[in-house]
Amino acid sequence: MNQMNNHPTREEDFDLYALGALEGDEKLAIESHISGCANCARKLAEAQGRISLLAFAAPQSEPSPLVKERLMAQIHASRESAAAPARAPRASGSASVGGLFGRWWAAVLVPVGAALAIATIVLWNQKVQLDRQLAEMHATIEQQQAQLDEARDMAHLFEAKDTITVALAPKQGTPPSSAHVMYNAKMGMLMYDGKLDPTPADKSYQLWLVPMSGDPINAGVFNPVAGQPNHWMMKLPPGTLPKAFAITLEPAGGMPHPTGPMVLVGAVS
Amino acid sequence: MSASDQALIERIIARDESALAAVYDRYAGMLSSVLNRILRDSQAAEEILQDIFFQLWRMPAQFDASRGSLAGWLAVIARHRAISRLRRHNPAAGEELLENTIVLPFNLESIVAQQQLLTRVKGALDGLPKEQRAAVEFAYFEGMTHSEIARRTGDPLGTVKTRLRSAVETLKRNLHP
Repeated sequence: MNQMNNHPTREEDFDLYALGALEGDEKLAIESHISGCANCARKLAEAQGRISLLAFAAPQSEPSPLVKERLMAQIHASRESAAAPARAPRASGSASVGGLFGRWWAAVLVPVGAALAIATIVLWNQKVQLDRQLAEMHATIEQQQAQLDEARDMAHLFEAKDTITVALAPKQGTPPSSAHVMYNAKMGMLMYDGKLDPTPADKSYQLWLVPMSGDPINAGVFNPVAGQPNHWMMKLPPGTLPKAFAITLEPAGGMPHPTGPMVLVGAVS
Repeated sequence: MSASDQALIERIIARDESALAAVYDRYAGMLSSVLNRILRDSQAAEEILQDIFFQLWRMPAQFDASRGSLAGWLAVIARHRAISRLRRHNPAAGEELLENTIVLPFNLESIVAQQQLLTRVKGALDGLPKEQRAAVEFAYFEGMTHSEIARRTGDPLGTVKTRLRSAVETLKRNLHP
């Protein structure tokens, strides 16, 4: 790293640091310098912001709605358990009672108060535990509901008269493999079922719907496990008429547009 | 009109659960995408996602909106957490919440703005030569240093350094607001 008065002279050094690519002396030089240089610390903050934008290069995925439910349940439970100890001191704070009823009563009431406080905490912990179990059961029910919805969608897809089935065949020079796609344009629903060799660690398969006009549409990124059938469902914008489906081998996580070699393809007859 | 990030953080500090839910709705998709891309394990990604927002609930004051962008800050934390998990390194709880100021010259408080930026970032990456793009992805999504990328690709260390330097220069130019 070129430096002048220990300032990194090449501004990309901040971006490389934010990216995590620097190591050893190069990394240490930035770390030791920014702690005492507000100007360079600001440049690093800007570089961190720029590099954080690369998060948007990841293929889009939405978390399951259960995550939010679990989060809110966790927050709720943490608030309740935080509130619990606040009641304990009140229950055990019977020192003033001694002044009213004498030391003998205090000797009785203090242990009773402490016992009540302990009982309150125990009961509270049990309640928190029950709340957690309830949240987990709720999550399980939601999960089962989602599986049921998927099964229902699958049944609709199978039953619908306008559902098409497209067999995908290997391109010449690629290993033997097979897959087929069931697709209903009106419902925008697709089911993939196939048997492909596992991908290399840095690659994923990507299924594309090739529309009558326009660019191929991403219809799923997947990494099959050796010896296991692979099937899944995907919702696409309804009304898209395909002329073909194809599977390409892409960098892990998939790409916005096909870039890799085509592995399987099937035209819609 | 939806509340600003700063207003939501102030409400979280005042223990308003609905404000945390609003921040979650705003940024969970973006964070989930990056977590899934790094970990390729949706269960692990969801655990970390939940934990990030729970930490934001526990320590909202750690985020000072006057010093940076909430979206950038959360993205940095998510990436840090995911790469730590990938490399079996467990940072002390809350460690990363203390460390970064992130200046992001874009307002990402609306989903539309996020979609516009997504297109722009993908376009900027697509515009890089293949090897430069791969090097950036190795570093960002797999947490690899220069030497690790060189070992992975079999390219000389100097070549990898030049590629990454050129890539960040180009990205800086193309992602300038």
